[in-house]
Formats: sequence, structure tokens, C-alpha cells
Amino acid sequence: MSMRRTLAIARRILHGVRRDRRTLVLLFVVPVVLLTLMGYLLRGGSTQPAVGVIQQDRGPLGPIVAQRLLASHDVAATSMSADDARADLAAQRIAGYVVLPADFSDRALRERVVAPEVHLEGTQPALSASVLGALGSALASAGTAVSGGAAPTVSPTVTYLHGGPDLDTLDYFGAAFIGLIVFFLVYVLTSIAFLRERQQGTLERLMASPLRRGEIVVGYMIGFGVLALLQSALVLAFSLAVLHIYNAGEVWLIFLLEALLALFAVNLGIFLSTFARTEFQAVQFIPLAIVPQILLSGVLFPVETEPALLQPLSNVLPLTYAVYGMRSAMLAGRGVTDAGILVDLGVGVLFAALAIALAALTLRRAAA
Amino acid sequence: MESTPAVDIQGVVKTFGALRALDGVTLSVRRGEIFGLLGPNGSGKTTLIRMLVGLLRPDSGRISVLGRAAGDAGILGRVGYMTQKAALYPDLSVRENVDFFAAVYGARARVADALRVVELSERADSVVATLSGGMQQRLSLACALVHGPELLLLDEPTVGIDPLLRAEFWTHFRRLTAAGTTIVVSSHVMDEAGRADRLGLLRFGRLLAEGTVAELEARAGVDDLEAAFLRLSATPEGAAT
Repeated sequence: MSMRRTLAIARRILHGVRRDRRTLVLLFVVPVVLLTLMGYLLRGGSTQPAVGVIQQDRGPLGPIVAQRLLASHDVAATSMSADDARADLAAQRIAGYVVLPADFSDRALRERVVAPEVHLEGTQPALSASVLGALGSALASAGTAVSGGAAPTVSPTVTYLHGGPDLDTLDYFGAAFIGLIVFFLVYVLTSIAFLRERQQGTLERLMASPLRRGEIVVGYMIGFGVLALLQSALVLAFSLAVLHIYNAGEVWLIFLLEALLALFAVNLGIFLSTFARTEFQAVQFIPLAIVPQILLSGVLFPVETEPALLQPLSNVLPLTYAVYGMRSAMLAGRGVTDAGILVDLGVGVLFAALAIALAALTLRRAAA
Repeated sequence: MESTPAVDIQGVVKTFGALRALDGVTLSVRRGEIFGLLGPNGSGKTTLIRMLVGLLRPDSGRISVLGRAAGDAGILGRVGYMTQKAALYPDLSVRENVDFFAAVYGARARVADALRVVELSERADSVVATLSGGMQQRLSLACALVHGPELLLLDEPTVGIDPLLRAEFWTHFRRLTAAGTTIVVSSHVMDEAGRADRLGLLRFGRLLAEGTVAELEARAGVDDLEAAFLRLSATPEGAAT
């Protein structure tokens, strides 16, 4: 093995990279940006779910438990009336509420049974677990403070507005991943295909033909749209029939949300591919343009628990609305008449239209 | 035959940053002739041809194609454009490629004709990726002429193909002009460009001379096109750059 020849190769690689600004950014800027984002998301956020506390106990124990809950660092608890709590829960403003019933102390002292009522929103297993955990520690510390003697039986009554105790992590993530998989694959497929059109010179031919820019973009959209819809149907069918992901919603609505996301992805692919000269460069857009979207869309971390600074960013990402729409349709069983779903659908249409316009606008630049 | 020239270029200037790709080019192409654009690499041939289909706009000057402004949506359907490298869909078959471009121009009935012209009928079902370079070049020509354009723009159509195929191509060109088509063909090869009816000599974005081979040779006072090109390049107007 000749060191000289071997080093010639290494040197050539380093020389090449020096002039390739995209690769330099990918190597040294992207990891810092992504890690900063991750760290900020995980550390900077308030992961405390909002919880309502309804203290109705006539005895001494209820107020103590309520006070411990309000002081808890695991949840952001507030005292409220039963009516407010029900409304907030339905609107997903709180992850759950705890009712300390009128006979709470009575039963604890006489029957040695601690029986709070817990009402959970239920679509986010992680938040439900936090609520139950916070209640558990509040009860434990209140218990040691009040009564000596035999430990009372803790038997909370837990009800779920949506889903249930069986709703697991797959159900929660699955609902969002169905959309994410389609979004990601359709984006990659279209951006590479469109780039090829440019590289092999056929786009130049098309631009010199009577074809209008809009016709090219819409033609692409229909062609890849068909593939994307087939893929969406397959992903959805597999998720529901084989993986048995929890679904309380209407299948056609989920499909519609998926389809809008796919249309957006097709046009995003065309749009971004005009900024890349090679397939390698198109792939480089994934960590730059796609991964931050995934981090901020609420797929992994609910947007409400994000740091306040990042939330506005999440709220302008189309993926956020798709993820929310899919989750509220599948987990909460909301229908097309629901205001939140309508917003999600509307934003989906808006972004798809915006991406189509951008794709058509950049096409001139693409051929030149 | 209409009296307006097929292509009329008046004082066209095009710059890319500091580079003056075209520096005041004026020339005209008559209907039904084969006009050769002869010049070394980088002389502005491709830039000029791309302007004729509206892919680039001149910084100044005027270009009319078939009596209309270049790039006018109304005339693009009457122009055929063959890019320098065979621009084809490698995953489609020969017929599917021609059929696609025919559909874009609304001429799907002519697919079989176009394949016959370039003698690819037998390979119609072959996937493009499996074709030789020469065959791909022929297919590219078929895609450019399938809609029966009045004006055919060929950007170095015979680069990298063997002399036999080149001769074949010129036979096609002659057949097309006999049927009334006007052809603009660019080349950097002297003996090839010499087959054109008239020539424009291009160098550093300037038109050195325009005329038949005989006219150009006479003007340079030599009896060979290559010598004429070199002589004309050295004249004061050519040497100014």
C-alpha cells in the first residue's frame, strides 16, 4: 500500500469539501442546530401538563391533597369548578382533572380507602402518566402527614375522555407517524425525480415546448399524487388492520389529512429541488428542511410543552397541523365538523396551494 | 412560402455576470434552409439557440422566430428543439419517450412516423437506458421532430457520434428541408458545418461573418472553410475582443 497514493485520495476529498459550502454546513452547522433544538425542546420546555383540581371534600384530608397537588412540580395544577374542568378537558386545555369528592376524608378514615376521581383527556399517554404520578405522590405525602396506623388502600377511579388505559405509545405516535412517513417518502421521491428531470435535460425540453409552468407542476402533482395516495392508503390500512393502532375517528377524514400532506410534500419536493444541483444536494435538504419540521411538529413532543419561544415556529409549520389533525381524528374521534379539524384541514389546503405556487414560480429558474 | 425570415436576430446582447456571451449578434435565417452556427466551444452557440425558444431573454436587441417574438407561447408548438445532450427519460421505452413529447405537442398520431424517420422502429420497445449513444441521439432527434415543426433547432446534434451516423443525420436534415422545414444546426466541427446552406461564424459572442461556404471562403481569400474561419477570426473586427 502506497501512502502517497492513499493520501492523494484523502487530500482530494478534503479539497473538494472545502469548496462545497453545503457539505460544510451539513457537517458543522446542522448538528449544532439540531442538538440546540433538541436540547431546548427537552430542557427548556414546561413538560408539566395542566391539571384541574376540584376540592369538594368536607373533611380535612381533601384540602391537604389539593394543596400538595397545587404545589407539585410534576403538573401545573389549578383549582377550578367541576363545570370549568369538564369544558377545559373537552377543549384539551388540561390533560386531566382530579376530583376530591365530598366523602373523601370520611371514607379514608372509616373504610381506609382513598378514592379520588381522576378524569383524563387520554390522547397523550405521557401526559396521563404524569397526572397519575403527581396524584400518587400528593396522596403519599398527604397520607404520612395525616394518619398514622395502617396504610389506606388507594383506589382512584380513573376515567378517560378519549382512548383508555390501553392506549399505548404506538397508538399515540402511530397516529402522527402515518402522516410523517407519507410526507417524508413523497418528499424524497419527488425532489429526486424532479432533479433528474433537470439533470437529464428533459426539463429544458419541456420549458421550450408549449407546456406552461403550471401544467408541469400540476402534472407532477397528479402523477406523484396518485403514488402518494396509494402509499397513504397502504400505510393507513396496515396501521389499522395489522398494527391495530387505536382509531376512534373516520377513516376517510384521516385519509384526507394524509392526502393534503402528501400534496404539500410533492410540491415542496419540486420547490426545494430547484435549489439543488445534484441528488446528493437534494438529500442534504433532509436534515436542513425536514428534520427540524419533524422535531417541531409535535410528533415527538407536544407543542404545548415546547418552550414558549419555539411554539410560534411550530404553529407555522404545516406538519404541525397535519399531526394534530390526525391525532384528534384518530385518538379523540373528532369529526369533520369539529372546529379544530376544520382549521387543520384548512391549513393543509393553504399550504398545499402555497407550495404549488412556489413550485411553479421557481420553475423558470430551474430551467435556466 | 412566407417572406418573413424563419429567424431574425437584431443586435442581441447577453451577459452572464462579467461574461459577454453574445455581443451584438445580428443574423437572419431564411425559410427552408439549413443554417449552420459554427464556432468553438463557449462562442455563444447554445446561448443563441436557447434564446430562440425563450429559455433565455436578451439583455438588449430583438429576436423574432417565425414572425413572432422568441418564446411566444403561440410559436413554441411550431418549433422543435434538440438539446446538446440527448435529453430523454431513461426509464421509458423508445416509443414511450416519443409518445410523451408527441402528447405535449398534441401530435400523438405521428409517433410511428418519427420512429421510422430515425430508423428506430425495431427498437421501439427497448428501454432507453439500454440504447447506444448513437441510438439515443437518434431518439432525441425523433422527439424534436415528432410534431412536424416548421423550425428545427439542433444544438450540436452530432457530437460524439460516428461519421456514418452523422452522414445519416444530414440525410434526414435534407429530407426535412425538402419538406419545407427550416433547420438551425450548431457545430464546432468545420467539415460538418460546411454541409449547411449558409453559415454564421461565431466567436467570443460575436458574429464574424454570415454567408454560404463559398462566400465565406471568397471573403477570406482562401479555399477552405477552416482557413477561412481562422482568417476571419483574425480580422480587426473579430480580433477586437
